[in-house]
Amino acid sequence: MSYILSEESRDLLQDVRNFCQNELKEQVKEYDESGEWPRELYEKAIEMQLHMLDVPEQFGGLGLDRITCAALIEQIAIADAGMAVTLSGNGLALKPVLISGNDEQKKKCCDIIINGGFGCFALTEPNAGSDPAGGKTTAVRDGNDYILNGRKCFITSAEVADFFVVTATTNKELGGTKGMSAFLVYKGTPGLSVGNHEKKMGIRTSITSDVVLDDVRVPAENMIGAENTGFITAMKTLDLARINCAVVATGVAQRCIDEAVEYGRQRKQFGKPILANQALAFKVADMRIRTEASRSLIAQALNTADAGLPFSDLGSCAKAFAGDAVQQNAIDAVQILGGYGFSREYPVEKLYRDAKIFSIFEGTNEIQRVVISRSTIGKL
Amino acid sequence: MDILVCVKQVPDDFVEVHLDPATQAPATAEIERVANAFDTYAVELAVRYCEANGGTVTAACIGPETAKNALKNLIAVGVNKAYLFNAEDLAAGDDGAKAGYLAQVVKTCEEKSGVHFGLVLCGKESTDEIRGQVGAMLAEKMGLPFVSSVIEVAPNGDGLIAKQETEDGIATYETASPAVYTIAKPGYDPRYPSIKSKMAARKAEIPVLTAADAGLSAVESVVTCTSYTEPPKREAGLLIQEKVAADAVAKAMAVMKQDNAL
Repeated sequence: MSYILSEESRDLLQDVRNFCQNELKEQVKEYDESGEWPRELYEKAIEMQLHMLDVPEQFGGLGLDRITCAALIEQIAIADAGMAVTLSGNGLALKPVLISGNDEQKKKCCDIIINGGFGCFALTEPNAGSDPAGGKTTAVRDGNDYILNGRKCFITSAEVADFFVVTATTNKELGGTKGMSAFLVYKGTPGLSVGNHEKKMGIRTSITSDVVLDDVRVPAENMIGAENTGFITAMKTLDLARINCAVVATGVAQRCIDEAVEYGRQRKQFGKPILANQALAFKVADMRIRTEASRSLIAQALNTADAGLPFSDLGSCAKAFAGDAVQQNAIDAVQILGGYGFSREYPVEKLYRDAKIFSIFEGTNEIQRVVISRSTIGKL
Repeated sequence: MDILVCVKQVPDDFVEVHLDPATQAPATAEIERVANAFDTYAVELAVRYCEANGGTVTAACIGPETAKNALKNLIAVGVNKAYLFNAEDLAAGDDGAKAGYLAQVVKTCEEKSGVHFGLVLCGKESTDEIRGQVGAMLAEKMGLPFVSSVIEVAPNGDGLIAKQETEDGIATYETASPAVYTIAKPGYDPRYPSIKSKMAARKAEIPVLTAADAGLSAVESVVTCTSYTEPPKREAGLLIQEKVAADAVAKAMAVMKQDNAL
């Protein structure tokens, strides 16, 4: 791992590595097969506090630096991408609150997470994915409340969430980007319901569902930030979340290397290990280059964010590169394992399925290239 | 009740150990040291006991300065206080000598912390030498009741109830307190440290005491290990290559009969 970590962080990383090795890596297989949400595994991870890496120290969090958090999440992703998505997904739900919310909202949401709860970020809609401003969910003022109506989809952890960050149009005339607001909706609020979870190709240990808002009444104080600033909050949230997405992708990319090397050192053909052939050894080298380059881009984006400088395009670079890299690593790992790579008996088949999502969620890799090209070329 | 757990550092037992060709002794110098697995079970059992019934858990280790880290890791999983006795020159002693040192270590820990331990725990064996004698010898040196291979402890008035794992099941004993028990693998695993507890434990002060601080001086060993031998390498198996199943079975039967395996 190429991150430069303090001795304390390396020590934590070793604990997390042991935990993932002993408690997750093998155990996730049956859940990947069944599609069941591995509650008992999450409970163990929560005991280790791996679900609250984004909670700030002032609200009872751990006070870890961003690079250490990235290293820990990558370690979870090496064991299982779906669990890394869920555990760091709490950070995704918390980010809009931390970016634009007031202290009371921050404390409430942080307390929920610290006590083992989950949050979710409900932005995407059936007809508003890459174009979130096109969302149809509305929030209409009614006295001291807002009434929310609409449908969200592909919402990570919605089924187990205790709080939902929901974006909705509060001013149709201003349009999606300028007329959107963000709201905190708590589990159990009348009219809030969660649909069945998606039967996904990969990251099957994360739970992904529709969220339906049917005349959901929330007090005005549940608005996150000022009215009509929800789109900016959502974009700032995604700026950070994309880097996390790159981190999880990098964990999967590393696992591809680990599995390919373990197999390729032992598998003999023509009287020698298959990795003694440069055609395959160079594949491993390329996998390593992609993985280390992903980490470097992640570190660059995180350090830039820490310095208080604009980092949105760097986050997109990290996300797009790591998202592409993990897919190529998975293709190469399956190729190195040959027929066994195509078999469900071996772990790279799962890695191949898990890898695909990283060019899709948190902004497709095409959208990342829109962000990067605009910031590079400027207005034409 | 206050509990003391004696902890030994051993070479990581995931690593296969071979004899050093020059010394013919186990070559363990390069292998990472970890807390003996059975000692970590003892710590978990002690922490659970105190969580349910109150009390404190102290860990003590005779070992080099590097053992501090192992002790900090135990503080991260619930040990309240840990002492390191940096007296490695005593490591060469036989089990009787080591039990004598530990008896003195228990006494020193009581003096330093101002508590009297109601229970002293050791792992039932260490995963390096696997002799399983020190706990019993410690009880003898201290003149205390002893139960081996314990997997559960419960309070019993002024005394204790210990459940012992046996070949056939569970044996239940009552003993007075203080007592010395050795701990087998209970029906649970040691907990993982939370990130917060780990970070706090890294800052914990581990008092390092010398042999002189604890009044320890080398005792002559009465048992000496004269040599180590590696287990014989497994012989290659016999490949039966008859193409017809009936012939293969007949050949296998004949070979087994010849080797008196039937």
